[in-house]
Amino acid sequence: MASLREQILRRKPVTEMAAETGADTERSELKRTIGLLPLSAIGIGGTIGTGIFFVLSEAVPIAGPAVVWSFVFAGVVAGLTAICYAELAGAVPVSGSSYSYAYATLGEIVAMGVAACLLLEYGVSGAAVAVGWSQYLNQLLDNLFGFEIPEALSQAPEQGGIFNLPAVILIALCALLLIRGASESTTVNAIMVMIKIGVLILFIVIGVTGWNSDNLSDFAPFGFSGVTAAAGIIFFSYIGLDAVSTAGEEAKNPRRNLPLAILIALLTVTTLYVLTSLIAVAAQPTERFDGQEAGLAQILEDITGSEWPGTLVAAGAVISIFSVTLVVLYGQTRILFAMSRDGMIPELFHKVNARTLTPVPNTIIVAVVIALLAGLIPINFLAEMTSIGTLVAFIVVSIGVIVLRQTHPDLPRGFKVPLYPLTPILSVVGALWIIQDLRPVTIYVFLIWVAVAMVWYFVYGRSHSHLGRHEHVGLAEDVEP
Amino acid sequence: MTIVAGYAPDERGRAGLELAAMLARSAGEHLVVCVVIPAPWVPGMARIDTEYQAFLDDRAHRALDQARADLPSDVTADFSVHSARSAPSGLLEVAAQHDASVIVLGSSTAGVFGHVALGSVTGRLLHSSPYPVALATRGFRAGPEVRVTRVTVAYGGSEQADDLVVAAAVVASRMSASVRLASFAVSPRPPYTSGVGRLADDARVREWAASMETAAQKALQPAEDVQPVPHPLEVVIGYGEDWDEALDDIEWRDGDVLTVGSSAVGPAAQVFLGSRAGKIVRHSPVPVVVVPRAAAQELAGQ
Repeated sequence: MASLREQILRRKPVTEMAAETGADTERSELKRTIGLLPLSAIGIGGTIGTGIFFVLSEAVPIAGPAVVWSFVFAGVVAGLTAICYAELAGAVPVSGSSYSYAYATLGEIVAMGVAACLLLEYGVSGAAVAVGWSQYLNQLLDNLFGFEIPEALSQAPEQGGIFNLPAVILIALCALLLIRGASESTTVNAIMVMIKIGVLILFIVIGVTGWNSDNLSDFAPFGFSGVTAAAGIIFFSYIGLDAVSTAGEEAKNPRRNLPLAILIALLTVTTLYVLTSLIAVAAQPTERFDGQEAGLAQILEDITGSEWPGTLVAAGAVISIFSVTLVVLYGQTRILFAMSRDGMIPELFHKVNARTLTPVPNTIIVAVVIALLAGLIPINFLAEMTSIGTLVAFIVVSIGVIVLRQTHPDLPRGFKVPLYPLTPILSVVGALWIIQDLRPVTIYVFLIWVAVAMVWYFVYGRSHSHLGRHEHVGLAEDVEP
Repeated sequence: MTIVAGYAPDERGRAGLELAAMLARSAGEHLVVCVVIPAPWVPGMARIDTEYQAFLDDRAHRALDQARADLPSDVTADFSVHSARSAPSGLLEVAAQHDASVIVLGSSTAGVFGHVALGSVTGRLLHSSPYPVALATRGFRAGPEVRVTRVTVAYGGSEQADDLVVAAAVVASRMSASVRLASFAVSPRPPYTSGVGRLADDARVREWAASMETAAQKALQPAEDVQPVPHPLEVVIGYGEDWDEALDDIEWRDGDVLTVGSSAVGPAAQVFLGSRAGKIVRHSPVPVVVVPRAAAQELAGQ
């Protein structure tokens, strides 16, 4: 019996991971075909649209017009962590999310902690995005048919409703698609990204006509702490930049292109976000944001006095957020799939249906849980929980970079972070700073959540871990890289 | 038992004829080459269409002359003209007369070379024939002396497939060919933006492949009882992001024939091409035999 210390720190050998993901079958030979611009496009597509469509009504009341700086601040932290993520992804040639990286570099217990964060990053953000979708759906229905889904069926209980039905239906639809095995193709995904960006540009172009400097006169009513607090919520809308790193195995000249693509994506996204938020705060007084639903569409209607721009924005949001929900749900089921194969959660999660090739029980469980969250919990809480989960996962990744440099200095790295060790340290500090300004309730719930995950690990995962059971505890250094 | 080949004096006919000759040569069965012409109308007082019938008849016989010339010399065959309301029903009538083991046809000329393409006649037969239907790829040429050396069974893990596997083993044993079960894992890679990496999902496909391989090995068990045992009995899995890729993923060679079963949706006695079988047929680089469930059961029973 391995000692507790050995158990919780056991790491998954890299070659074993490569074999499990099928890297030894010819199917896995991904050619290096993605150049710099497509790589940046992946980052832009992965990021835009998850939050910007509904995060303003949560963030502006906290920061005032200075929310613009919150976007810059959150963007810088996101960029730093994305660069750290790229180094880890290049150094540990396994495919997967930060869970896999943590398992290979920092040990089992940390991997479990990261997994708990990822459940927030994916599961809870899926719920948040679905709630945002239901707001825009309502706006669209109202504009097109003069009819809205009643409050009781489109709001969380805390906001005066009973159940958020549209959000639940959206998740059910996505789950159905995933069970049938229809995953979103790269082409469809690209079209969705175009729609998202098009909608934001439309907002900026039309919105600028409603510019009123009076709205900016009290620029930072809540000071710097307001800015960082809002950044905490906004961070949610920068999730997805790490998609660039996961495409690293297909990138041409990754050493040069990965960081450059992250930078380009970050600059593009931040510029779009800053412009959008600037236009929005200049268009209406801070107070109006509070509780405003389908914000971007509303603002355009107020400015132009006609309905069509708002309808267009709402339609674009409805279409593109659907694809975001699909992708998020997809990611969540696959992370649980990987965990289940490692024995960290029950085997049920990696049962694959013979006909559709999809993990059906896994998808159903994920969909039911996310649907309950989306139906019952208000969006600002969901957004904050997502942010803290992602921030902590990113902190672990940044620490992982430092740890790996200490323990395996000679490991060939496809890409190294510039200004080491400043970059990972700054990334950790920035993330911690954003976290400490989140509402205390968010931090408490998060700590409880991680504690639950740890209890689960000690009760179940530690003894069921395949790595432990096979007594095949080759550490990463035993294996030639 | 007899092999019935539908013939038309064009490119389709030649490919079908080549396939029929290869099957007849391999199985040692009798071959009937048949041309179907429209049936005469109810004879009227004027007998106005006699001339037209004579023309059709003449044309059919000239077609058969061409078939005789095209047929490889090591295969003997009967040649017949049959009149019927439509080509598919005519072929079925001929098949019934001869108690056919299989109806052989060429691909539609609308398809691409080297693949099976369904036309109106094959389409109809693939959804109603009580006999197995063999389809040549477009431009198929077996060459002289080439026999069926390997029967590949498209295996989807369903229970009906078990009968098909045994049936294929029986037929392969007669032709002294080997049997291989092929499953196709068609699964697009995840979109980049899902953040789990494009390779991560291959684990899921492997999970599926592992369970499919176990099922396939189990399905091969009864085939071991067939005498003589067709060797080797193997299992292969084709991976791909679409059907084309997945079918290309396993190796093919001359003398290969692919067998697919009938969908459980259709009646047991007839061929009914399911959606997946349809995709496999359309992307197959080798001739395909589609077998009705009843025929598979009967063969498996032997």
